[in-house]
Amino acid sequence: MLRPTIRELLTSLQGTVGGILIPELTSPYAQGQAAYVAAMLARAAAVYDREDDYNAAELKDLRATLAALARLAPKHLGRGLGDLKKAVARGLKAAKLNPPDHSDHRAMEAAISEFAAALALGRLDDAVARLMRAYLKRHLDRTREFLGNIVMG
Amino acid sequence: MDHPRLTEYLKRAMPHAEDLRVAGLKRISGGSSRETYAFELEWNESGQPHSRPLIGRRDPTGGLLKSDREREFRVLEAMYRAGLRVPEPLYLELDSSVMDRPFFIMHRAGGRTSGGAFPEAEPAALREKIANQFLEELASLQSLDYRALKLEFLGEPKDPADSARAQTAHWREIYDRDRMGEHYPILDAAFAWLAANPVVTDRVVVVHGDYRSGNYLYDDNGMLAMLDWEMTHLGDPMEDLAWASMMFWGRGEFAAGLMEREAFYRLYEEKTGRSIDRARLFFYQVLGNAKMATICLTGVCDFTQGRTADAQMPFLEQLLAPLCDDLALQLRLI
Repeated sequence: MLRPTIRELLTSLQGTVGGILIPELTSPYAQGQAAYVAAMLARAAAVYDREDDYNAAELKDLRATLAALARLAPKHLGRGLGDLKKAVARGLKAAKLNPPDHSDHRAMEAAISEFAAALALGRLDDAVARLMRAYLKRHLDRTREFLGNIVMG
Repeated sequence: MDHPRLTEYLKRAMPHAEDLRVAGLKRISGGSSRETYAFELEWNESGQPHSRPLIGRRDPTGGLLKSDREREFRVLEAMYRAGLRVPEPLYLELDSSVMDRPFFIMHRAGGRTSGGAFPEAEPAALREKIANQFLEELASLQSLDYRALKLEFLGEPKDPADSARAQTAHWREIYDRDRMGEHYPILDAAFAWLAANPVVTDRVVVVHGDYRSGNYLYDDNGMLAMLDWEMTHLGDPMEDLAWASMMFWGRGEFAAGLMEREAFYRLYEEKTGRSIDRARLFFYQVLGNAKMATICLTGVCDFTQGRTADAQMPFLEQLLAPLCDDLALQLRLI
């Protein structure tokens, strides 16, 4: 195994910034910037190996949600919701590519975003709304878990 | 900003000053949409020594907002003339050859500020006093005759629904520009809702655009000066009230960290003599969350694409989670 690991490297560099650079800086502004750098190194060390897991979980959920929306579409996306039927088709097409690239991932997110907008506008019936709310809750939980929950104040 | 060029500039701006010196020039972290510098100006005049604490605000290479330096300066001048608590604006320089980018010089008010909500550690009596002054100042701002102050250049709404539509369109445009091609379903939903539900204002006032705790200076005797006027525009009075009382600026029931939210609204009604329109307040709180998320995306985008090296910018991504949580609850998306 190669040492230092990326995590060890990031953690040690955080120590360099905090222990060597900051005490040498005389400008409070520069000290503040260095503190941000140290904190970002700490965050990177904490999450760098979770980014792939986060993206994989999001991708898996997008695929499952789009597949579920496609199953509901014939019965629940009736008149006036043709735009959403097309969105599901575009999203599903991107979801079937294996492995999907960044633009495919974006295409799936774009389709889901159209449904999120439709949910906000009250255009979805109960079954589709329930499905979307459940997806959005999982999406927010994952995002919060990955980014952290910062409170201003 | 550098010492020699700033000194030369001020010598030209103040031809009556003798032995003019710039002392203690240092960059400070306030007003993160601009490069902000603090310094002391010392000079002799009619044989007498003078000094004044000043602030220089220069356009950044990138960052949170893309706003017009002249516009901010003219607003500050108008607010100062109108007697609001603002630092006195002194010199505006739009010629980039003087100091690489446009800048202006204003008086440096004393006191301190908070990062977000008013600090819990401050005495309760001071908190109460500042809550009063914060809403008194907002009431004064909203009572100004913007035409008498020649502020029509801020863009008069075409009709009573135009304020909401214009702000929605403005922030949607920036969101689309700075999301780097990614989709944020909660934000897409919020902008769709805002576009579909524009509210109609009962009057047009000067909107500060960033009226909140963290944007004023205060000391142990109360509020000293309201800062950061770069997002000022003409619009709905509910916009500033909604922004100031957003959950984002301090969790829990304390609006702006100053007082319990409903008491805060009652005090606003008392200070302005006008009732709050809850539907409009709600609309502007949704807009506020979407706008703040967009500002965060602008900072992240500029950092990622190399337009700014400000190490604070990548942290803004982390603020998206609480903002999207609030939007999801407001719009019943979860």
